[in-house]
Amino acid sequence: MARIGVFVCHCGKNIGATVDCERVAGEAAKIPGVVHSENYLYMCSDPGQLKIKDAIRDKKLDGVVVAACSPHMHERTFRRAVAEAGLNPYLAEMSNVREHCSWVHQDIEDGTAKAIDLVRVMVEKVKLNQPLTPIRVPVTKRALVIGGGVAGIQAALDIANGERDVILLERDPSIGGHMSQLSETFPTLDCSQCILTPKMVEVASHPRITLLTYSELEEVDGYVGNFQVKIRKKARSVDMDVCTGCGVCMEKCPVKKIPSEFNVGLSMRPAIYTPFPQAVPNVPVIDKENCIYYIKGKCKVCEKFCGPGAIRFDQEDEIVTYDVGAIVVATGYSLYSVGEKPPGSTIAGYGEYGYGNIPDVIDALQFERLASASGPTEGHMRRPSDGAEPKTVAFIQCVGSRCPEKGITYCSKICCMYTVKHAMLYKHKVHDGDAYIFYMDIRSGGKNYEEFVRRAIEEDGVVYLRGRVSRLYRKDGKVIVRGADTLSGTQVEIAADMVVTANATLAQPDSQDVAQKIGIAYDKYGFFSEKHPKLAPVETNTAGVFLAGACQAPKDIPEAVAQASGAAAKVLEMFAVDELEREPTIAVVNEDTCVACFFCKRICPYSAVEEKEIKDRDGNLIKLVSHVNEGLCQGCGLCVVACPSKSIELLGFTDEQLFAEINALAE
Amino acid sequence: MSKGLQDIARELLEKGEVQVVVGWGAVKADPDRTRPILVTDPDEVGELVWNPRCVNNLAVYLTKAKSDVQALGKAAIVAKGCDVKAITGLIQEMQFSRDDLVIIGVACKGVVSDGSLWQGELTEENRDLKCRFCDVRTPRTYDHLVGEEVPPVDAEDDWKDVRELEEKTPRERWDYWQEQFERCIRCYACRQACPFCYCTRCIADKTLPRWIESGQHPRANLAWNIIRAMHLAGRCVECGECERVCPVGIPLNLLNRELAKEVAVEYGYRAGYDSEAPPPFATYREEDDQSFIR
Ligand SMILES: Cc1cc2nc3c(=O)[nH]c(=O)nc-3n(C[C@H](O)[C@H](O)[C@H](O)COP(=O)(O)OP(=O)(O)OC[C@H]3O[C@@H](n4cnc5c(N)ncnc54)[C@H](O)[C@@H]3O)c2cc1C
Ligand code: SF4
Ligand code: SF4
Ligand code: SF4
Ligand code: SF4
Ligand code: SF4
Repeated sequence: MARIGVFVCHCGKNIGATVDCERVAGEAAKIPGVVHSENYLYMCSDPGQLKIKDAIRDKKLDGVVVAACSPHMHERTFRRAVAEAGLNPYLAEMSNVREHCSWVHQDIEDGTAKAIDLVRVMVEKVKLNQPLTPIRVPVTKRALVIGGGVAGIQAALDIANGERDVILLERDPSIGGHMSQLSETFPTLDCSQCILTPKMVEVASHPRITLLTYSELEEVDGYVGNFQVKIRKKARSVDMDVCTGCGVCMEKCPVKKIPSEFNVGLSMRPAIYTPFPQAVPNVPVIDKENCIYYIKGKCKVCEKFCGPGAIRFDQEDEIVTYDVGAIVVATGYSLYSVGEKPPGSTIAGYGEYGYGNIPDVIDALQFERLASASGPTEGHMRRPSDGAEPKTVAFIQCVGSRCPEKGITYCSKICCMYTVKHAMLYKHKVHDGDAYIFYMDIRSGGKNYEEFVRRAIEEDGVVYLRGRVSRLYRKDGKVIVRGADTLSGTQVEIAADMVVTANATLAQPDSQDVAQKIGIAYDKYGFFSEKHPKLAPVETNTAGVFLAGACQAPKDIPEAVAQASGAAAKVLEMFAVDELEREPTIAVVNEDTCVACFFCKRICPYSAVEEKEIKDRDGNLIKLVSHVNEGLCQGCGLCVVACPSKSIELLGFTDEQLFAEINALAE
Repeated sequence: MSKGLQDIARELLEKGEVQVVVGWGAVKADPDRTRPILVTDPDEVGELVWNPRCVNNLAVYLTKAKSDVQALGKAAIVAKGCDVKAITGLIQEMQFSRDDLVIIGVACKGVVSDGSLWQGELTEENRDLKCRFCDVRTPRTYDHLVGEEVPPVDAEDDWKDVRELEEKTPRERWDYWQEQFERCIRCYACRQACPFCYCTRCIADKTLPRWIESGQHPRANLAWNIIRAMHLAGRCVECGECERVCPVGIPLNLLNRELAKEVAVEYGYRAGYDSEAPPPFATYREEDDQSFIR
């Protein structure tokens, strides 16, 4: 006969107001197998936990039901307490009488009746609970950081400074990400490169960091603590060990007219190039699509001039494999463009803004390059069409963002702030110029952000107009901006010399592929999903994989960096132990009845199911069965449902246990 | 027709390409009927027949009798288009691989399950219902073909039978199936005849917990029939064997087809056409809506 204890929590008034906890405890005492039942104001408090421990010892309980909040909140607390009293922690369960009863019922009778039912259900389950032991898996104490923007850089440095090895993977020729393209940064107007490059250099010289640039993720295998990653090191056509970074090749390369990615098309680059002078590593790559030698088989000018002889036309892509214990994904974002979108796209372009074909309408990132001392105009304000200094500039916020009609409903979060910054930078450079900002709302939450906005308006004379711009068109060398000022209720028309659009922040175009390779979830816009929006914002649903920066949602630099340090702390926490403990609530296969249809294998989102051969003593194959890898299984239960022969059980949630619960409810 | 079949079988056996042919043979006492036979001796291929009374879906011998057949060596199987669909599904479900098997496909204009309607030839009237919607009268894959290719039936509406059922109100449909299932005697003939019911321990036989009550309580019959249909949803190839063998005449294939239509509409998937296709109910897709999990 079972000896179960039931502990009903009032959670102050949270439960107590709509559930008669005393009555619940009283009814619980009548359930066969319940030998102890009590109620208390805060079960999770020390005295509350002590009551549980005492009852386990005094009444020799072999099962515990705590009727309180969600197991998400306090299952760990109570299981730990139970373990401290010497009972296997998996013999304790929670009934959620808060979220499921008191918070959803107004009437105390209803709330109480349901609470009694839920307790009864859980008592029946606990009668069938088996002691379980956490699974222990070894940890490879090396991390992979994917993406070398500021978030990836920060995460890599923090982990490396915690004395753990890091592989930093970047697909561009240099690390730096978007931050390296920015001019000055809100709200302090620090020069972006000046604060970023020291970190880039530190990455390059850190003994614990292996930097792989111009490289791509091919495959991720394994599970928390034990991932195997395959990386493609794309051929640079330049020997990293020999090149001195003198740059003579770039000067001599006859190809000159490739739009620079780094300057967002505002300048041209050769076929052999580093994206920007402070690139890390400062070793060029040959862009095979545009190199004359790779196209026509003749040229090799760079090779001729390269003093140390670093050019390697015959270099091939190389696949390297690493074992890593944790992965930080920091692949950043991309920028929306107003250009026409391919048919079938869920996101639309802006025909009313000329689909990006008006030369003096530039996007915010192009403005960053214009304003940069290292940019194509050396920081002078010159508009693209004729190089003239624009005297009237209109800035348009929310281009794409918050526009369900364009297919994006979210707020890109950073545009309000960088647009103020842009207007301010413009006014600092062109003192007699006029800056107009079309906006929907000014969202300036953040330390010193609102002050920054006030400064632009009050000190720099930036004019804010509340309303959307309905049309942009070219007339007599000007860009006519037609919009509404909804505060004064008038139509406005401004003849601007240049227009800057604050385009929405999008996920990387290939984020879904990346997510599928790593096995993490993403939202409908392609941003990676965190495990819990409030309580686990750096974790993903895949153990051992963490998120940092704008790949999760639009973020500014301080937020990206903070999350990166958070992810690094999570990784270091994992690496602080030699073995990881995993919840033992995993799937197990009954090999006798399994018929090897492998529906389980197909459906498992974590690739935890393997084919196993059963052999006789002489090594002859008797049959194939399914096998669940303990390290990989997350206990999601999909395989259990898919198995037609009911040959899989989820420990802690066996069919018998669930039946007992349902039967208890049906009584 | 049987001649072509016998020649193919003899050659396969003589050359040692296969050691056993799974096919149909005439029932001695009643030559109008056929039964499944295994032929291992080239001199006995004369027993093999192919005619509109070859109703059995022999694919069931590739699962339930797998070890017996395997013990004889590599097998060739004689299969109609609908039987080949079952074979395709079984390959998809990894029960054997295509290389393990030689398929002797038979071009088929329909079969006659109901012996009382058989007058020595196939007619519009005696042809099985399933054959009236058949789009695989020439099997979709085979190694050898018996007979000339036959074009698929040009049915006006592939789901006519199902649509008639759907015209009933939900209440009427419920009552209809209740009545049908009430007659079930839980003999499990439907299960035994189905090539896809290859679980060595069926859910119906599981205890701890017992998913389906034993005995013939209407509630238990309902549970069995619903579970049977659901376990075959997205897998059943509508060969109709379950319905043919049901001693009390429950229209099981109508239920199968109702689900097949649902799968076709919701998932754009028909079972038994492509052994490489991911089965709809055993596929995890990252892009599936997950927003409800919070
Ligand atoms: C116009 C503009 C102005 C801004 N101004 C400011 C400002 O003043 N202050 C501020 O705080 N913030 C500003 N921001 C925001 C800032 O750019 C971001 O917060 C920051 O860059 C986010 O860093 P990240 O590392 O997450 O992403 P990114 O900077 O996007 O870095 C991601 C890196 O990952 C790499 N990568 C992507 N996919 C892969 C892959 N599959 N494999 C390998 N590598 C990959 C990319 O090449 C890139 O190097 C501005 C943004 C814009 C658009
Ligand atoms: S070989 Fe290619 S990269 Fe080198 S100089 Fe010629 S075009 Fe430029
Ligand atoms: S689904 Fe069930 S029967 Fe099929 S392989 Fe997996 S465990 Fe075995
Ligand atoms: S419980 Fe989920 S994670 Fe575990 S093996 Fe089954 S499907 Fe895979
Ligand atoms: S359920 Fe019936 S119709 Fe479907 S494959 Fe099985 S025997 Fe054939
Ligand atoms: S064959 Fe018919 S009677 Fe027998 S179990 Fe199946 S449905 Fe019931």
